Amino acid sequence: MRYGDFYALDHLNLDIPRGSWTCLVGPNGAGKTTLLKTLLGNKAYDGSIVIDGVETYKHLRNVAFVPQRPEIPVGMDVSEYVMLGRARLDGWGRESRTSRQIVHQMLEKMHLSGMRHQLVAQLSGGEMQRVLIARALVQEPELLILDEPTSALDLHHQIATLDHIESLQKSGATIVSTMHDITLGAMYAERIIIMQKGRVLLDGPSDAVIHSPELKTAFDDRISIHTLDNGRPVIIATRNSS
Amino acid sequence: MKSQEIDRIWHWRITAGAALLLFFVMLLGVSFGPIPLDFFQIVRTILGLDGGLQDEERILFLQLRLPRVALAALVGAALATSGAVYQTVFRNPLADPYLLGAAAGAGLGATLALTRGNQSFYAALPLFAFVGAVLAVLATFLISGKSSANPATLLLSGIAIGSFATAFQTYLQQRKSEVLRPVYSWILGQLTVADWQVIKWAGFYIVVALFILIRMSRLLDGLLLSDEEAFSLGISPKKIRIIAIAAATLATATAVSASGLIGFVGIVVPHLVRGLTKRATNRALFTVALSGAAFLVLADLGSRTLLSPAELPIGVITAFVGAPFLLFVLRAKRVLN
Repeated sequence: MRYGDFYALDHLNLDIPRGSWTCLVGPNGAGKTTLLKTLLGNKAYDGSIVIDGVETYKHLRNVAFVPQRPEIPVGMDVSEYVMLGRARLDGWGRESRTSRQIVHQMLEKMHLSGMRHQLVAQLSGGEMQRVLIARALVQEPELLILDEPTSALDLHHQIATLDHIESLQKSGATIVSTMHDITLGAMYAERIIIMQKGRVLLDGPSDAVIHSPELKTAFDDRISIHTLDNGRPVIIATRNSS
Repeated sequence: MKSQEIDRIWHWRITAGAALLLFFVMLLGVSFGPIPLDFFQIVRTILGLDGGLQDEERILFLQLRLPRVALAALVGAALATSGAVYQTVFRNPLADPYLLGAAAGAGLGATLALTRGNQSFYAALPLFAFVGAVLAVLATFLISGKSSANPATLLLSGIAIGSFATAFQTYLQQRKSEVLRPVYSWILGQLTVADWQVIKWAGFYIVVALFILIRMSRLLDGLLLSDEEAFSLGISPKKIRIIAIAAATLATATAVSASGLIGFVGIVVPHLVRGLTKRATNRALFTVALSGAAFLVLADLGSRTLLSPAELPIGVITAFVGAPFLLFVLRAKRVLN
């Protein structure tokens, strides 16, 4: 994956098992979002990305994507927007009763029922993020790709949203996400990949990766890792002077 | 009991309402004029019942009024639908059917036909206009080259091609100033040429193009999002964009070559439908087509009757009524938020 002479992704070799949750971490510009978009199949690349033995770009798969910066359509309300996720399952025809029921349930679950007639353009950042995740979940995807799914959410909705994603994973879907909040990422994902300058720095089970020296290296030793009484790791940024 | 499903995003009743509106507006269109025709006799004539129109009235209805109203409906449907589609494809609420140089290309083609000056070229004017429109849009695509997948590049190329074609047209028309009047009146749009021959060929292209666009309406909805999001919904944005632009351009080019340039329909009608139904989805396309047809039939009625027996150019009516109405809807519904 290359922009001019700059390789956003370079010599990557990953194997993502079905039904797993993989979390990409790393500093800004490490290539996390580029990797997500390449997985999606909408970016040209050298090499090969294969799902079930089929090159991704050759086949539009049921892959849901939650972008960090979505394009907000003018004049569209929340229920209409979430219904977009059902278009393919409805065979591109009129929306089925099943779809209307599923969208209804999803809006209830994501606490969005009350704002279903609001224009998406008028939502706050956190509300929009929940709407985006609702749209992705009603797709009933086999692979769910999320770019910073919790960055705009308050603490309560962070957990609620990650729980929804986890329940999708338990029903068999594969999850790949980026997350700046490594602590939160380690709580849900069983595998963490640290990326730096388009390469994989470390790849392993969440607990092992989070305590590894490579994590500190990736962030220029500007983080410190603490362990709470209940054994959960917490990662915080440190200032130069300390 | 609390409902366990959300309301339909698009209800067939809205479409049925628009169809009913079109039917009544067309009935108005064929009955009004210097010689008024009776409503019930018209319906009986259409249904082939006894007691329909007789003699001259029958000829007036079948050979003049009906083809004219039918052409207005076809052109209105074509312009409104392709306007809505361009607005989706370019993610720009101000996009109109003439955006990619179709209008300027058609104008150049028409001027070329008129400057030849003899009758056979006059008859070929629609063909010239059609070819001009299609060539201009093709040129727009070729110029933007590889980056034609990017809406903004395509739009700017369209503006460049449009300016070029208009400049060339002005040059031709200055060299032969006697064509100024016919060119000008063609540019303002006219439906006086309507006969069954025109309706047959224009109807064919327009119906085919609109059928394609309406069938792919939920695919078009994906283009309202970013390309990555569209892709993740199972839509191939580049392919859909090209099919949509091709079909909308075919409809526009046909409409322009049959009736000249009729502005504003492609912007007013889609926004009206979206504003009144509070829906952004392209599921509205069929309703947009029906409403566009009704809008232009009404505008044509105005152009025939306001200064009767003289005729106002229909483009003047659509802009005159359309512009304030559009502003009203935009303010009331804040469609552009």
